[in-house]
Parts: sequence; C-alpha cells; structure tokens
Amino acid sequence: MRLSSVHYNIRDAFHSMKRNKIMTVASIATVAISLLILGCAWLLVLNSQHLAGTMESELEINAYINKNVTREDALNLRREIEAVQGVEEVAFVSKEEGLSSIQEKLGEDADIVGTVGNANPLPDMYRVKAKAADQVPQIAESLDGIIEVEKVRYGQGMVEKLLALTRWLRTVGIIIVVAIGLAAVFLISTTIRITVYSRRREIGIMKLVGATNWYIQGPFFLEGVMTGFLGASLAVIVLHICYSGIVNNVMLTLNFLPVLKDTNIIYTVYKSLLVMGTTLGALGSTISLKRFLKGS
Amino acid sequence: MIQLFNVFKIYEGEVRVEALKDINMHIKKGEFVFLVGPSGAGKSTLTRLLNREEIPTQGQILVNGKSLIRMREREIPYYRRNIGFVFQDFRLLMDRTIYENISFVMEAVEMSGSEVKERVPAVLEMVGLQDKGDAYPHQLSGGQQQRVCIARAVVNDPIIIIADEPTGNLDPETSWEIMNILLAINKRGTTVIIATHDREMVNRMKKRVIALDNGLLIRDEERGEY
Repeated sequence: MRLSSVHYNIRDAFHSMKRNKIMTVASIATVAISLLILGCAWLLVLNSQHLAGTMESELEINAYINKNVTREDALNLRREIEAVQGVEEVAFVSKEEGLSSIQEKLGEDADIVGTVGNANPLPDMYRVKAKAADQVPQIAESLDGIIEVEKVRYGQGMVEKLLALTRWLRTVGIIIVVAIGLAAVFLISTTIRITVYSRRREIGIMKLVGATNWYIQGPFFLEGVMTGFLGASLAVIVLHICYSGIVNNVMLTLNFLPVLKDTNIIYTVYKSLLVMGTTLGALGSTISLKRFLKGS
Repeated sequence: MIQLFNVFKIYEGEVRVEALKDINMHIKKGEFVFLVGPSGAGKSTLTRLLNREEIPTQGQILVNGKSLIRMREREIPYYRRNIGFVFQDFRLLMDRTIYENISFVMEAVEMSGSEVKERVPAVLEMVGLQDKGDAYPHQLSGGQQQRVCIARAVVNDPIIIIADEPTGNLDPETSWEIMNILLAINKRGTTVIIATHDREMVNRMKKRVIALDNGLLIRDEERGEY
C-alpha cells in the first residue's frame, strides 16, 4: 500500500464513524469508562504507595520525656536509649525545637505560642529511628520501660494496613479493568463488523479491481484505533480534571496528607492510558478483520 | 496472452460437479471473443478462474506468460488490475454518484487525486455520460448504468475486459450501443471477452466464438456464430 493513499483510508474511517454514530459513541464511552476506572485505581494505588513510603521513612518512635525531668537528666538519657537493641539513630528534640517545627508546618499565620497562652505545652522528646520496621514494637516497649519516659508513640500497624489496601486496590482494579476492557474490545469489534457488513458491496468491488488487503482493511483498522484513542483521551481529560481538583482541595484542607503531585509520574499514567486505549481499539478491529478477507 | 492447458474444475460436494473438463484455448492480445453456451455450461467458472478467484483442479492457466496457479496470495490484487469486469447487474454503489462510483475504483488501486481528476471525466466522455457525473445510479436508465459499469471497468487501463452477460438486462437497441462501446475499447488494443447467450448479437458481430456446453469446449471458430 502506498503512503500517499493513506488519506483515502482516513477519510473512509471518518465517514464510517459518522455513519454508525450510535455504535461509535457507545464504543468510545466503554473505552473511556474502563480506562477511567483503571486510571482512578492506578492513581489510588500510587498515592497509597506514596503514603506508605512516606510513613515508612518516618518510621520512628517518639519517646516523650516526663515534664518533671530536668533538661540535664533528659540529655543524659541518650546513652541509655542508644543501648536499646535495634536502635539506629537517636535525636534529641527539645520542646523549643518541637514548637518551632510545628510553627513552620502550619505557616506563619498561626500564632501557636499566642494560642496556648505563651507557655510551651510540648515536652522534650527523643526521636528514635529503628534499624528495621519489625523491631519497632520491641524498641517501643523498652523505651516505655525507662522511668523518665512518659509516653511512647509510633505509627506501627498503619503501614501494614496501607500496603494491604494497596494490594487489594490493585487486584480489584485489575479485575474490573480486565472485565470492562474485554467489553470495550468486544464492542469495538462488533462496531467494525457492522461497518464491514454494511460495506460488503464496496469491499467486493475493491477486491475485484485489485485493491490490496492492506488498503481494504486500512479504514476499519483506523476506525478501531481512533475509537480507542478518543475513548482514552476522554478518560484522561476527566481524570485530569478530577485529580487536580482533589489535589488542590487536599492541599488546602488536609495538608498533612502527602498526595502524589509528581507530574512526571501522573503524566506517565496518562500516556499509558492513551496507549492502552489505542491498543484496545487496534485489538478490537484486528479481531473482526481476522477472518474477513481470508481467501478472495 | 491468455492460455489454458487441459483445465479441469471439479467441485466436490454432496453432488460432484464437473464445471470445466479438459479446456484448451488461446486468446491473443487485442482479440474480441464471445464465450457462449447455456446456463451452467461453465462460462462463469471460466471467468472466476481468469480473475484468480479460484484455481483449477487440474491444468495450467497463463496470462501474459504468468501462471495463475503458482501466483502468490499477495500478487493477486496486482494481477487483477490487468482485468476490467462488466456485470449483468452493473454492481454500482447506489449511495454514490456516478463520478464517485468511478473514482472509487481508482482510489482502491491507490491512484493519486490528480490522476483521478484527470481520468474520470475522460472515461465518462468515452461512454457518453460526461454530464451525468453528479447523478446517482437510480436516476439513470439500464443502458446508462451499464455504460457507467464499462467506464468503471476501463478507468484503470486494464489489458483485458471480461463482460459477463453485459446486455442480459437490456433491450436490443441499448444492447447494440453497449456492444459498440466494447468494440471501440477493443479497437484501442484491449482484449475483450464477453460471456453471453444473446444469439442475435453474436451472429451479427461475426467475431470469434468459443462455445461451452456442460463443461466441455465444443466449438472455437473465427467469425463464428452462436
């Protein structure tokens, strides 16, 4: 097939999409819905992985020192804490440092010190990092045993729950996407089969006068590819609008939640969705063209 | 140009049909040939073999020295561009104009837009339908539709025209017009093969006649009769 006659194929593909408007719209919508679900699940998984990663890197134990203990005694605790098995790093955070770090997180508008009545409500504390996540509970217990330590806090359990959620999301997402993806392929191939059927006279004449199979199949293949691509584009547009809306809202109201804002990763998701939609379309049309034209 | 050697075509099925039996013939370039015989004599089978829609059960067919039996699948479209077909039922696309019906087959063999713009009016003028380009097939008479079909068959400049009962649906006067157009095409050097059972026409034309009956070639005469 000559490259210069591709425009005949493109024109014919558009004609046929216009002629079978309802089927075309249904196919595009199915592709869009399946990819939208895939995109949502994917972004959710990425976000919970991101969240899990953030929490894991902060997998540390805060040991709050009793307020009655003097600064000197508190500082002397360091050696005892370092001696606990599994401890990798120990950092002392004075109550003044704690307050200013909260101040920093919340921004300058919030006058913490003023709100709490010019008295620092925070205790001194040690920030202890464990060598491995599974040692955290034992370390916490040991730290709790130290008399000067009033309270021990750590985020154990959350990470596991989050990772389990991620796995679950991924499985459910894949099952749903495969099911709807199959429906999309089926719908596209049916649409194309209808087109082939409605054009059987033309195809007969084309074969008779010596059109190559490539030329004859071209418009049908393009129709599938365009249907898939349009569906994917629709999904990406909706996903983008929703996701940036959510991200902006989360940043305004729940700014402690670490949402995924890395545009590179998000654009990779979008690009993959477009590729998948186009592939679905190509697959759908290939299936319906497979037996057609065999033998002439 | 067209050579058949001991060609058999047998359809195996519930009923075994021997459509062609031991056919030998040679048609030279630029000949005008009538293929005659009653329905079921094997005329249609022969045209299907020549168009490489089917291959013979036995025997050899050469067109322009090239074997149709050994031809590869992907060569078939290019081979078919050598042949223009004219049908009894015209086979026009009813939802397209006359112009589009003809440009359609040029596009199908991937001619450029400028070639299409140049050739279509030329062939329409050749069959006398230069002002019918924008009409639809149903607005034309049977004879006019057949002329469109002929224009479509010659537009890609084939070396052979095969017409299957081209006058089967037409009155005698119109048939004669159609035959004259085919004669004119033949005069330009194109080989023309016409399958027909229009006895009067064949007798009047005094051209080569190949007669088939029950799958056998029973007669092959220069300036023959039905």
